[in-house]
Amino acid sequence: MLLEVKELDAGYGYLQILRKVSLQVDTGEYVCIVGPNGAGKSTTMKSISGLLKPMGGKIYFNGEDITGLPAYEVTQKGIAFVSEEMNLFVNMSVQENLLMGAYTIKDKNAQQDRMEFVYDLFPRLAERKSQLAGTMSGGERKMLAIGRGMMSKPTLMLVDEPSFGLAPQLTETVFESLDILIKNGVTIMLVEQNVNKTLSVTDRAYVLENGRIGLDGKSSDVANDSYVKKVFLGV
Amino acid sequence: MYINFKAIANWAKSAAGITITISIAVALYATINSGPYVLVNTIITGGMLALVATGLTLMLGVLNIAMFAHGEYFMIGSLTAFYVFTPISNYIMENPDSFLVIIGPVIAIVLSMVSGAIAGVISEKLVFGPLRRRSTDNWVMNSFLLTVGLSVLLINLHQLIFGADFKGIVRYWGGMPVSIAGAFISRDRIMAFLISGLIVFLFWFFMTYTRTGRAIRAVSQDATGAQIVGINIENIVLLTIALSCALAGVAGGSLLFMYPSYPTMGLEPLYMAWFVVILSGLGNILGAVAGAFMVALLKVVTVEYIGAGWDFVVPSALIMLILIFKPSGIFGSEVRGVLDK
Repeated sequence: MLLEVKELDAGYGYLQILRKVSLQVDTGEYVCIVGPNGAGKSTTMKSISGLLKPMGGKIYFNGEDITGLPAYEVTQKGIAFVSEEMNLFVNMSVQENLLMGAYTIKDKNAQQDRMEFVYDLFPRLAERKSQLAGTMSGGERKMLAIGRGMMSKPTLMLVDEPSFGLAPQLTETVFESLDILIKNGVTIMLVEQNVNKTLSVTDRAYVLENGRIGLDGKSSDVANDSYVKKVFLGV
Repeated sequence: MYINFKAIANWAKSAAGITITISIAVALYATINSGPYVLVNTIITGGMLALVATGLTLMLGVLNIAMFAHGEYFMIGSLTAFYVFTPISNYIMENPDSFLVIIGPVIAIVLSMVSGAIAGVISEKLVFGPLRRRSTDNWVMNSFLLTVGLSVLLINLHQLIFGADFKGIVRYWGGMPVSIAGAFISRDRIMAFLISGLIVFLFWFFMTYTRTGRAIRAVSQDATGAQIVGINIENIVLLTIALSCALAGVAGGSLLFMYPSYPTMGLEPLYMAWFVVILSGLGNILGAVAGAFMVALLKVVTVEYIGAGWDFVVPSALIMLILIFKPSGIFGSEVRGVLDK
């Protein structure tokens, strides 16, 4: 098992959002968490990536306890987090942003290899190497954020709301790029509001509601669940 | 060679382009009209200002602290240089052939840099770090008030321990002034300019091309993003504060021959550096270097053509105009207040 979250409690200040959330991700899987706004999807991601200290529970990665580690150490262990706001370095060029993504890799040649890998994945980024990240379009920025996440050669990628604020066409492009990553052997945990689309591409799904896992199983089964259909898909 | 004329034309039309062009024109006119010493003074003052202002910009960008105690690190630097160089200078008097004639000032200036860095680290460990760990609510205001307190404390500590008198030296290297384009410039001034030029260049190189320099910029642009890519923010914060205080320290140390050390000596470079930071836009390091030379030019030209008492008035008036019409500064591409960060 690559990632195991056990009875995670998390929140901000006095406000508890996650209550005893447990989930598992195996190597090579494409897992998603779906759920309505405010269910705690992003909070789960932030807790795993180390940006938010959990209030209780345990997180194991590769069998190692990573609960409460600071974000930079979590990254060094091989988890890349692509946040909803992307958190790009807006006054740096595309190339520099990617270089920063490889911050944990000290070997110059390895950095170059990763860079070429990402440019192959997103030829669009290669065309815009020297452009400032802040001046790019929304879709390109998403690509850059995913590319930057890939630079650290992660075993697990946490992707938060890749379609947020994007036109439907661009959403498609972003999902395609995630498909390519899966084919390259990266494990992905995806958080999305676009439930229909997400359930059709992922292997397994967790439904998060009010800070609790309401349902989990194969994505196709979850998509056919009568409750999910009624509440999320509106069928 | 391919030259992008359109890009150059666009740049010339931007606020940065216009201001830089005007500054160069004014500098040229003043130099021809009043003599080369105008240019020399501008460059020396500008080099010193650049050191203090880049430190200020760094603190603002990376730590999000509106630093009002930065002049005191300048003072610490000059104080260190004074107490290191005075015995060296006495030794030189007795042994004029000693190798210390050349190396002595260098030792004093390097130590002033080191003492600036150490003072910076101590203030982070004792003052800013504890506040950050306790609460970052209302951080900009609280840290600003802390820096003001720190400034008062350091000024009075200086007065208590070392006294309020002027602690100055006559010269670092001495010797005959060098004649450049008809203007006689003392060796110390030339050295001060070379030192600040070298340090600003090294600093720029460090920030642009090294892994750690990039990490500092990354933290200043997006702290969360920096954590995500694996940067230990605590380390970067400590390094930044050491670096920016070292820059102020070395500025104070290398200018000891012009500005003797006394408790409140830091106020002038502090205000001037703030002019530079506002002029060039918050958190823009390269802009701060260019801005430093512009403010220096403005100061020198004001003294030359309006009168010596006006050298604070004209830059202040300009800062007000900039804050009204272009609050992001002339090199700032977007308006982003410190408070929104």
